[in-house]
Amino acid sequence: MDTVIIDGLAFALPLLIIAIGGIYSERSGITNLALEGLMGVGAFCGALAVVLTQNSVPTQSIASFGIAMLCAVLGSSLYAMLHAVVCIRFKANQVISGVVINILAMALTGFLTSQINAAVFGQPSSKFVLGVLTRYTVPGLSEIPVIGAIFKGVYPFQILIVVVAIVAWYVLYKTRYGMRLRACGDNPHAVDAAGIDVARVRFGAVVISGALAGIGGMSFAYSISANFSTSIFSGYGYLAIAALIFGSWKIVPTLGACLLFGFARSGGYMVSGMLALPSAFSDLIMILPYLLTMVLLIFFSKNNNPPRALGEVYDKGKR
Amino acid sequence: MKTKKILTDKKQAMLVPLIAIVASLIVGALAIWLVGKDPVEAYHALLQGSGILPKQSYAAYKGMLTDFMSFLNALTPMIFTSLAVTVAFKAGLFNIGVSGQMLVAGFMATILVGYSDLSSFVAKPLVILIGMVCGALVGALIGYLKYRFNINEVVSSIMINYIVQYVISFCINMFYIDTVSRQSRAVSQAASLTLKSVEAFGYKMDVPLGIILAVIVTCLVKVVLDRTKLGYEIKTVGANRQAAQYAGIRVGRTLVIAMLLSGALAGLAGVTLYLGLNGSIQPRVLSSYGYDGIAVSLLGNATPFGGMAAAGLVTIITKGATYMRSIAGVPQEMAALITGLMLLFSACGAYIHYLMNTVKRRQQEKEIARGAKRTVDSKQKEEA
Repeated sequence: MDTVIIDGLAFALPLLIIAIGGIYSERSGITNLALEGLMGVGAFCGALAVVLTQNSVPTQSIASFGIAMLCAVLGSSLYAMLHAVVCIRFKANQVISGVVINILAMALTGFLTSQINAAVFGQPSSKFVLGVLTRYTVPGLSEIPVIGAIFKGVYPFQILIVVVAIVAWYVLYKTRYGMRLRACGDNPHAVDAAGIDVARVRFGAVVISGALAGIGGMSFAYSISANFSTSIFSGYGYLAIAALIFGSWKIVPTLGACLLFGFARSGGYMVSGMLALPSAFSDLIMILPYLLTMVLLIFFSKNNNPPRALGEVYDKGKR
Repeated sequence: MKTKKILTDKKQAMLVPLIAIVASLIVGALAIWLVGKDPVEAYHALLQGSGILPKQSYAAYKGMLTDFMSFLNALTPMIFTSLAVTVAFKAGLFNIGVSGQMLVAGFMATILVGYSDLSSFVAKPLVILIGMVCGALVGALIGYLKYRFNINEVVSSIMINYIVQYVISFCINMFYIDTVSRQSRAVSQAASLTLKSVEAFGYKMDVPLGIILAVIVTCLVKVVLDRTKLGYEIKTVGANRQAAQYAGIRVGRTLVIAMLLSGALAGLAGVTLYLGLNGSIQPRVLSSYGYDGIAVSLLGNATPFGGMAAAGLVTIITKGATYMRSIAGVPQEMAALITGLMLLFSACGAYIHYLMNTVKRRQQEKEIARGAKRTVDSKQKEEA
């Protein structure tokens, strides 16, 4: 039972932070299918920083973790600016821009990884090895039955994600900036009439979504894959999009959707482990979260409210 | 009266992808030069690798035709995925599930026909038919979920992609695995849409039958979209759903039909990939053709023939990459990078349109101003 909660959270939280990134972008009116690419670029930059500094900073230390997260956030924010510029300044179709950004991210990181490995380390390899991050257990709290598992085997990035997620929730719902951001997604003309630059707000929102996706990507690189290679582009970003649409573009319901994905996944693995099924059956277990989502969507999609101006290029002259 | 040449809309639509292509090739050349290789040699090698220009030397039984046939073989699924995306796009839908639809079609055709001992005259048409039907069913399901339950097609497609990928992986691992290649067992030659090692003109080559079908289907899609009531309805729904409704078009039905058509085209892509180019299915892997199709369709202005041309271009780059590496020493990932840039630049097409339209409008305004001045001048003359 404990492993279900531990592994479920370790999967759900990175997914959540990517999804919150998506919520920021989409609530401001910019469709963001680029989350997958942003996440990957974040992981690439973070992993690169870890590998480059490994001689002076030990890879498993908190300092190395901090450097990795910082570089992941910076790298993916920078890359998100590309999406922002293409969508806002160049008025491109946002869905298409997102898909293209993903394709480019995979090509770019794959290319750079092998180039850097060859040039800096002199060995032809297509991945940066990170190793799984050390897990921590909170003494005392982890002794509580059932709920205690939340405090057992916690990755450092999980704590970071919880803090960032709470801040992100506060900013989006309780500050003036957050209100303007949400208004940009529903009625950009009103925001413009109030004397606020819609393009600037949206640009900021897309960059924030990049930063948050970077945290998520680096977390996946640190836990599930334990290295960076282009195999990290395995659809977590798209899954985050599914979670946020499922959560109707609101942070708290999206948390629920992410937890559902996480627990269905870890629970499925536990069941297949208990029944000692052949490994092929794990594929069947893997469909659980997706199947569950489909079924729930059939019941709940009627009251799905996307931001009203989502995906529309803002045109001042249009009414 | 002299007027400056103003580009027509159609010419302008063609110009934007061209600008994107040239720009990306220039940036690509720059990147190749930065790695310390010769860009001209690299691009030359790309064309050689896809059998468009002759190589210096060939192995026995191999020639330019061999390379060109294998290029066509890789091109066929790309044309179909691009068409699938285009049709959905015209209806204002975004078919991100092409890969999943391809996989279902390829898998069903493989187990129903690929492992049977039907003769090739029965098997090949049957493969195509099953592929189309299976792809269409999955596509229609996504359309139906959208219409009946208001489920965003992007989400349902992603979910279905995952479900399909894992279920089929399970089936292959349990029942159809080839223990050596770790893929599904190869399909019979009778069912394969690519004729393997055909000897002609002194060469041995793989002849893709699907390419003929791809050309025919592209023409058909063009006719359906531009010349039929259904095509008109699809485009109207895509342009403005409410206007379509007020015009008496049954929007829901049109959406489902558009997804059904899109799925059928994706199904064709699936059979030409899994029972043609590859001949087997790798479990747990979704083909990247689905995502590439989105981008290729865009590069081709979301038109059937434009998509075909764009598919050709992208396939030249991916197909020639291996030869480029061996001849010019340029890393293979460079090809993916150039393709990515090409797509990024063409995504900015709207901006290029916008710039061109601004120039156009300024010219027209000048014309009007000049015209107005002339009338004023002539009036003054009359008065004088």
